[in-house]
Amino acid sequence: MSQLNESQDRENPEQSQGAVLDVQGLTKRYSGGVFKRNSIEALRGIDLQAGQGEVFGILGPNGAGKTTLIKVLLGVVKPTSGIAHLFGQSVGSVEARKRVGYLPESLRIDRHHTARSALAYYGRLSGMNATAISKRTDELLDLVGLAGRDRESVSRFSKGMYQRLGLAQALMHDPDLLILDEPTDGLDPVGRNGVRRVIEALREQGKTIFLNSHILQEVELVCTRVAILARGKIRGVGSVEELTHHLSSETYLLHIESNRPSECADQIESLAQQIELDTERLSYREVTDGQFELHVSLNERSQLDALVDCLRENQNSIQHLEKKRPSLEDLFMQLVGDHGGRTE
Amino acid sequence: MPYLSVIGDSFRAAFASRVLWIAFIAIWILLAALAPVGFRLEYTTEFRAGDFYNGTRLKAMLASGTVDPKVADQPVGRLAAVMPDELSRQLKRVGEGDEVRIYLRVFADALNQCLEDEEWYSREAWADTLQFRELRELESLPEPLDPKLRRRRARLRIEAALPGVFEARSSQSVRLTYAGMDFPARFSTDRTQFLTLVNQYVLPVIIQWLMGFVLVFLGILVTASMIPEMLQPGSLHLLLSKPVSRGLLLLSKFAGGCTFVLLCVTQLVVGLFLIAWLRLDIWNVRLLLCIPVSVFLFSVFYSVSTFAGLIWRSSILSIGVTCIFGSICLVVGVIGGLFDSLVTRPASINHLEIVGETLIGSTRGGGLFHWDQQRQTWEEIFESNPLGADRVLAPVSINENQLITARVRGGRFNPFGSGASDLLVMTRENSWDGEPSMRLPASTTELHLAGDHVVALSGSELASVSLEQILDAVGAADTTGTKNAGQNESGTRGIAKAGWMQKLSTMMGGATEGFESVLPDGFSVNPPSSLHIDPEARFLMLYTRGRLMRFEREEITQTWQQVSEQSIDGEISSRSWLAVSGDSLLLAREDMPVEVYDATTLELLASSDLPDSISPVFVEGLGREAGFFLGTSDGLVRRVTLQRHLGSVQISEAVGPSEVECVCVDFVKNLAYFVHHVDQVDVVDLKSFERLERRTPQLSGWRLLEKYLISPARFITPQTGELGETIEAIISGKSAKTILDGPSAGEVVRYQLFRPILSCASFTILMLVVSCLYFSRRDF
Repeated sequence: MSQLNESQDRENPEQSQGAVLDVQGLTKRYSGGVFKRNSIEALRGIDLQAGQGEVFGILGPNGAGKTTLIKVLLGVVKPTSGIAHLFGQSVGSVEARKRVGYLPESLRIDRHHTARSALAYYGRLSGMNATAISKRTDELLDLVGLAGRDRESVSRFSKGMYQRLGLAQALMHDPDLLILDEPTDGLDPVGRNGVRRVIEALREQGKTIFLNSHILQEVELVCTRVAILARGKIRGVGSVEELTHHLSSETYLLHIESNRPSECADQIESLAQQIELDTERLSYREVTDGQFELHVSLNERSQLDALVDCLRENQNSIQHLEKKRPSLEDLFMQLVGDHGGRTE
Repeated sequence: MPYLSVIGDSFRAAFASRVLWIAFIAIWILLAALAPVGFRLEYTTEFRAGDFYNGTRLKAMLASGTVDPKVADQPVGRLAAVMPDELSRQLKRVGEGDEVRIYLRVFADALNQCLEDEEWYSREAWADTLQFRELRELESLPEPLDPKLRRRRARLRIEAALPGVFEARSSQSVRLTYAGMDFPARFSTDRTQFLTLVNQYVLPVIIQWLMGFVLVFLGILVTASMIPEMLQPGSLHLLLSKPVSRGLLLLSKFAGGCTFVLLCVTQLVVGLFLIAWLRLDIWNVRLLLCIPVSVFLFSVFYSVSTFAGLIWRSSILSIGVTCIFGSICLVVGVIGGLFDSLVTRPASINHLEIVGETLIGSTRGGGLFHWDQQRQTWEEIFESNPLGADRVLAPVSINENQLITARVRGGRFNPFGSGASDLLVMTRENSWDGEPSMRLPASTTELHLAGDHVVALSGSELASVSLEQILDAVGAADTTGTKNAGQNESGTRGIAKAGWMQKLSTMMGGATEGFESVLPDGFSVNPPSSLHIDPEARFLMLYTRGRLMRFEREEITQTWQQVSEQSIDGEISSRSWLAVSGDSLLLAREDMPVEVYDATTLELLASSDLPDSISPVFVEGLGREAGFFLGTSDGLVRRVTLQRHLGSVQISEAVGPSEVECVCVDFVKNLAYFVHHVDQVDVVDLKSFERLERRTPQLSGWRLLEKYLISPARFITPQTGELGETIEAIISGKSAKTILDGPSAGEVVRYQLFRPILSCASFTILMLVVSCLYFSRRDF
């Protein structure tokens, strides 16, 4: 399926031309050790495009290459091969970086700063003048809920306050592309909700947001498109609906009542063999005495019929059958599965 | 703008550092401790041990006054009569021929007692003494005098009674005070010396130690973490995501790191400047230039710390690597300094003499060499000894095949009865092997040819002897000094004395056997002085203690008589140099304008100021119209010509090579020999002033090592230690300092002003370029 999406993107040159973010055939190899014998291929031919107003989520297990991809986009790391453009400019160029706001995962602001002085500092680094900084600082402090604590030393800030300050600095120069690396890390539910609302508001303003988060639910809620990375490759890219629509399996929930509860567990395992279903794709639990809840993931509809037939033949009464909508987590697990992180 | 904000951020980071505030408090305490230092001016009255130029002479004169009834009514006798009992007993033993050691401070205390009660003074007795202008003016004032003036007059009377004993001192001294109280230890010096002391030694030492070591080390401790902290992922990635150049970002961080030292140094230097100005009346704006120099010094070390921080991302390693780097600089600097003092300096030729076709050079290390044209090298006559205190008198050519000189053992004085120097006659045929001749007067520092005589400047006396006597004495010299005793019957002031009187006379620096005193009675040479004797013995020019005098030799009596005198304004304790060219005389003094006088009437014809940064080192007459060569402390030689019709002196741009040690003029061939870069010689035509030839000697083993190993190592290694000299040069405003050593004019040590700056700047730039390239190209 990932191959399908990649080919779809390539076949859409118009989208590529107007893309805020355009990555094609991107690879990155880290060399290490004596005589650079130990090399790690962090990115293996990434193709990605993101347009204006998109909230683009990037997902993947640890070591999948997400951080490397962000570093390449920021110009912190130089690609080994391939093309990466932001706003039509090569990544790493000053012009490209002028329109990018970045919130790092582990933000570190020097202890001598207050929230206000930190925003002024990063504003100046982004090329803002004093007037613009002053005006924007007040707006952002209000936005992230740090108004009133803006003259405190950041050394007294909690993790959440730090994170909100980081978001404010990323927004300081009103960038067109926002790269957020775990933006809700350390925030309480209220804070997370606030960040989500900020992201949605920015999306409404036509800003492009590149979001890296481990919280799949969050990504599912705010992202218009998602890319799933594993072992340096894109495993899938598209909207959550598109991706889940193309899922090869369907998940069903069955509530059954068994006449012979003591034999039910054995029956379920044997019927899985009968319909040639991998036991890993089938799970069950006894809800009450004789009442069982069965989760099953099927590749074909005929397997469902066979499963129902088998259950009935074994004197089980089917009380409820529900087709479950596949979640991003399902998708994630299916695409990443045992690929896990980087193993090279 | 973005980069300024990085620097500004570093500034704030520095201000937030506790160590900075500790350093601030330490600086404020230091400045508060120095602030009460003050001074007051007072008449120079009390004698100090350092005021005595010739202690041996003083001892001999007072001993003579003690034991010789003939001088009892003379000033020296009257002074000897009021010496304390213990000292009087010791002087009596000296007069009787015993060797008694008397400390100078004992004399100083005894003479200081004389300042209070002038019972020893008698107008009649002092009538024949040579009285300087200040004393004459004080004598003319009506009684009663102010007690301070009275004490000053008493001191001048004592100095007049004991000619040739005292160093020239200013009439006023500076007395240091602390919170209005005099320093517990007596510490007084004249205003000029005080300024020199403060500007050339005290302030540079404070600044060098505090900034060169304490603040640099402290600064590295504080700032070493800046780069590793910047490289923390959460900080670095955010910075690198901003639209700034990596190289400039690093340079801005580097500049920001330097702000730590800038903040400390600015307070310290401004504080010292204000104390010097408000408390010591020393307005020295150059002091403020130490701020950038000190920050520059720090930047050298910080560039290493930055590079190490980039590579290893560890503050501890940055500090360690910087300390190792500092140690390497120190070791290379020390080795370089050792080579300078033990190899290069002793080999430097400080006097050149032409004997026929041969060049003879004497070195600072007490060596004597002749130039071997065939082998293109300096052949050794006397070996240079870098650690020895021996010196060799500047050789004097007495004919085309012979020269005279002497080796003075043990430094400044030849104490009575031991280590007296023999005049050495060296002959070409004898491979310049020195043959002892007559004994020189004690403390002889210069030899001059005057017609058929040789004149020796010994302490405060001038004594002459005929060439015939010198040559006769060769091979038959009796080093006990008894040969020919009593043979002198000149009827002037010959040394036909015997026994203890002979010894006392010798101690006084008087003429030894065969030598005759040149100066008339009552005249003495008081250092600092300068002397020029016409090789044809027609005249003798002497400058001493603010008096410029011309002496001429009488045909019949062959004695030198003063024919003209001029009182010269200015500081009498300044060192001086004079030369005669045609009918004009050039007088150059330290911190004074260069003046040209009529050589006969001694009228001032014209003068010209030298730039503040340079001072005279030597002068050389070039003949009637050609003017003079003026060697200056920057190692250059300038031509000084008198524009009679304009009444002005013109000082040309540099003539000849740089790093000039000395110049010798050959009037016969109309050539000038410039000794430069230790022992190279340039032969220059005196008409066109163009170089005709360069003689570059082959180098010895140590010199080769110095040239091909030590010098390159010093070139590669930034000479942070030598930046101290740059600070000295900036504060003093001079290009060189003089190390006074013995009775000679002193050794001029040129400050290394640009070499350390060039070396340190090159190194710092290299380190920063490498760091920037690394930072720009590396993935983080």
